[in-house]
Amino acid sequence: MNKMIISVLAKDRPGIIASVTSDLCDLGCNLENVNQMILQNQFAGFFVIQAPEGVAADTIRQDLTLKEEEHGLTIHVRSLEEDLEPPVVEKEIFLITTSGPDQKGLVAQLSGIISSFGANIINLKAVFMGGSNPNDNVMSYQVPITNEIDAPALFAALKKKAKDLDLDIRIQHKNIFDVTNKI
Amino acid sequence: MFEDQEIISTIEMVKNEKLDVRAVTLGISLFDCISHDLNVFKKNIRKKIIGHAAQLVDTCDQVGDKYGIKVVNKRISISPIALVGACFSSEQMVEIAHELNDIAKTVGVDFIGGFSALVEKGIARGDQALIDAIPQALATTQRICASVNVATTKAGINMDAVLSMSRAIKKAAALTADEDGLACAKLCVFSNIPQDMPFMAGAYLGVGQADAVINVGVSGPGVVKRAIERNLSQQRLSLGRIAEIIKRTACKVTRVGELIGREVADILDIRFGVVDLSLAPTPTVGDSVGEIFQALGLSHIGVPGSTAALAMLNDAVKKGGAFASSHVGGLSGAFIPVSEDLHIAEAARKGFLSVEKLEAMTCVCSVGLDMVPVPGDITEQVLAGMIADEMAIGMINAKTTATRIIPVPGKKAGDSVMFGGLLGKATIMDVPHLYLEDIFVEYGGHIPAPIHSLKN
Repeated sequence: MNKMIISVLAKDRPGIIASVTSDLCDLGCNLENVNQMILQNQFAGFFVIQAPEGVAADTIRQDLTLKEEEHGLTIHVRSLEEDLEPPVVEKEIFLITTSGPDQKGLVAQLSGIISSFGANIINLKAVFMGGSNPNDNVMSYQVPITNEIDAPALFAALKKKAKDLDLDIRIQHKNIFDVTNKI
Repeated sequence: MFEDQEIISTIEMVKNEKLDVRAVTLGISLFDCISHDLNVFKKNIRKKIIGHAAQLVDTCDQVGDKYGIKVVNKRISISPIALVGACFSSEQMVEIAHELNDIAKTVGVDFIGGFSALVEKGIARGDQALIDAIPQALATTQRICASVNVATTKAGINMDAVLSMSRAIKKAAALTADEDGLACAKLCVFSNIPQDMPFMAGAYLGVGQADAVINVGVSGPGVVKRAIERNLSQQRLSLGRIAEIIKRTACKVTRVGELIGREVADILDIRFGVVDLSLAPTPTVGDSVGEIFQALGLSHIGVPGSTAALAMLNDAVKKGGAFASSHVGGLSGAFIPVSEDLHIAEAARKGFLSVEKLEAMTCVCSVGLDMVPVPGDITEQVLAGMIADEMAIGMINAKTTATRIIPVPGKKAGDSVMFGGLLGKATIMDVPHLYLEDIFVEYGGHIPAPIHSLKN
């Protein structure tokens, strides 16, 4: 096992994934997971790979950087430790969604509260386009709530903060979004 | 992971389009409570209902909070009292209604439905006692709903029952004259009444149902209206495409109802029954079936084209519900209650919607002449005729129809009437020839079932 995670940042254009995965194939790496997104006009991609035995992460990074040097990619490579089976924890995932006027520090303040209750954010989407349309300034956090987390206190703290910040906040179990959007 | 637009559209449905779970209705069988002793019977039904429903309201609130969808009404439906209380007199039936009213207050539900009788083929002793008790029972309680099924496609129309119900309605109105005949707002006459309907005033628990069952009524006229408007604002669409949009929207709304209903049922350890997706309006802006007609390009509900639009709407809602869940029941379609819908009431007030047009539209809606205030001095023959006409529509078309007609004592067509709350307000509708005393309904007996009922 020689597992690594690679992050690639670049100005978006056609062919980034094709180029990077072709390079990884040439280097003898096997892809296990890929995820990518476009934020505004920037590409961000994550690749979990199995590299050939004995090849260091730094070597992969250097080889990949060399192959892609003309394309202006920012590449990071890090070794992953052996897989540890995550403990099975009963959890329910909630979406915490806010809308309202854009202000500095919104994500920091809300994520700080979530963190202070020992809750983890597994997905965050935030769009701040300014202006008066509340739907142009939306944050949505997906937060698993385990039995160890004081959910009523967490939700109350978030609602209070949202009120202080003049934000509309909705805290809803993930399943409601599943049933209204996924068939 | 959800797209931004998916998150926003779901939140919009709740926040601005008034999506809610209109009713979680706990059905409770009372057949094991039967006793010839009234006190024992009352004690038994109290114990049984409270035993099942003590946590109903808290559980609905808790589940509603979890999903951010309000459960507006928590209700109970019970076995028809005319059956489980068949040995009692009409005076004792009124006592049972008082007991049920008190139980409703104890468990915090807004209505108990099932002060009911099923008389499509004939009136048994208990049925007659219940029909006789209805005016007094409804006039002296607040949380009891009554319904009487007088017709089915298989059995035909019991015209004796139709006339009896006309008299009961007139009497109930008279007993609540100081409240504009409010008792009649809690009284429905049915053809083909569903056994699992969660909506009042017709909800009761049928005899073929489980001992306890959770049925859910979901509404959402505002969501449908906005979906139509949103799509039409982007491009001109054919009616077929609009029907598809309505169907998809109905599907989403139904899934919300089933999600919440099943969770409530799981927590209470009670069997889940059906989800009834009915576009049930409230007298507020943005929660109106009448507004859907405007979104469809009709100036008012009731103008030519309205029946076609309602047929399309009702069918698309049913298809969306059927696609969403294998457990769709109740009425599932579109309601057109006059006083409960701001725009329907307005269309009636302005003369765009007449009683005759309303009756025509009930051929294709999911209920019937619902929450229709009429002049208080309408004769019992004309009222019975209106009921019989509506029952015939249900019988021949193998669909549910009902009447909830309110003869408002001391008021005439054009006067205003205010029932309050979800029951709304309206202008009393003009009923042509309301002083006739035609004897057709007095012949009584039975209008036989139609030929297409002979399917065995």
